[in-house]
Amino acid sequence: MIMRKHIFKTLIVAGLWAVTLTSCEKDEYKVPDPVSALTNDAIKRTLGPNIASLPIEFVYAMAIPKSKGKLAFAEVTASIPGAAGTFLEHRSFYTNSSGVDVPVTVGTPSVTNGATTKMNFTVDTSAASLRYYYIVPNEARGQKVKFTFSVTASDGTTAYYEMGPYDVSKMEIKRNIAVSNNNMAFLSIADMTSYNAASAASNAAKIDLVYLYRTTPTTFTHGLVAPGADAALYLPGVTLPSGVNNATKVIKVFSLQDRNLAQMQFGIYVDDIDMQKVDFNNAPLHAVGLRAENGVWVETADKKYRAYVFINSVNANGSAVVSMLRYDMTAK
Amino acid sequence: MMMVASLFLGCQKDFPVDEDGLLITFRRECFVSNFELLGNDFVSVRNGVPIIDTVAQTINVTVNFGTDLKNLYPQFTLATDCKLDPKITGKVDFSDLANPKTWTVVSGDRQVRKAYKVFVKVQ
Repeated sequence: MIMRKHIFKTLIVAGLWAVTLTSCEKDEYKVPDPVSALTNDAIKRTLGPNIASLPIEFVYAMAIPKSKGKLAFAEVTASIPGAAGTFLEHRSFYTNSSGVDVPVTVGTPSVTNGATTKMNFTVDTSAASLRYYYIVPNEARGQKVKFTFSVTASDGTTAYYEMGPYDVSKMEIKRNIAVSNNNMAFLSIADMTSYNAASAASNAAKIDLVYLYRTTPTTFTHGLVAPGADAALYLPGVTLPSGVNNATKVIKVFSLQDRNLAQMQFGIYVDDIDMQKVDFNNAPLHAVGLRAENGVWVETADKKYRAYVFINSVNANGSAVVSMLRYDMTAK
Repeated sequence: MMMVASLFLGCQKDFPVDEDGLLITFRRECFVSNFELLGNDFVSVRNGVPIIDTVAQTINVTVNFGTDLKNLYPQFTLATDCKLDPKITGKVDFSDLANPKTWTVVSGDRQVRKAYKVFVKVQ
């Protein structure tokens, strides 16, 4: 019995000693292999949802040992051709000591042919960092898009780098819609624009909100009110054009400065899932007392669209600038 | 010695707690000291300070014009160790202005219960 105990103890000690030795073993530093061929790398700079009409920005870096040759041309091929405005920078950027990105022209402006954007190098360079701006086309909404970056060197070698696939949001965006009291007061989610009374009459079914500004009561100020709301209370002095009567649901939001709508420093993004999950049960038909950087969730009376309307700015003369993200609840 | 000591410690009675796991104390104070109403956007919708009558056990609060009365978050500040019954777990519908909502404040010793009525008035 004593012998067995002794063996057991010995085993434990030996085990602990082995663990100690193993944990103390030092990993030797290995010098990385020097780049011996054409290499490349890419990052996606744009955060948040990928929205039609807005760019997705990438940085594509490439290098070849000087002894092997120089860069000849770079290409990016998107799985869905980009919209007008898609380009690959012909300038390489470096960051100076002040943190400023400084461009250096390295080629001719890129040419986009279908899904492929190509840029030819015109300077003798063995390394470059190019930006690629892919303007999300409307037909990509709700789909996935991926990119193949490639660079070819003067020695005929080519390097490839795959990015994605990335989900493209189903949302649509419209920025800087001017609304004003008693004039461009009728906001349409379906058309993503504002109308005056005359135009609203001919688009009556599409008018979802009325913008108005009132100084009494003092907390009224800027309001976005459904045409179907209690007119005596929330639409004082407003004469609705014939047929404008949608009971649009509105939920007032504070501190949701979507970066794409606000175009400010905020790192907040409204995404498809937010649109899907807003609970409009018991939501009112009005939002008053709105200030700059407030917003409203909106659901149209026919429940076809949901939107987030952001108040970019307000003016005490009774006008405002709004931006909106719209989500089609019926789209597949 | 240690074993005997641990036996005694093991038998020591825990502090009493109620059905919510909250400590039952000796305090008998039972009142609302402050009241707040937040809108759907978590911003106060009060217009002026709430009037809390601890004798009549009423809270009168005026809210801004246009407040969405169906989706409000009430917040009570209570005397030390008190709790509220029923608990507030989310949005509360205050739209039925004729029938004010009632919450009962329960004292720290859980012996005193005072029902407060909340009267909401729109600016």
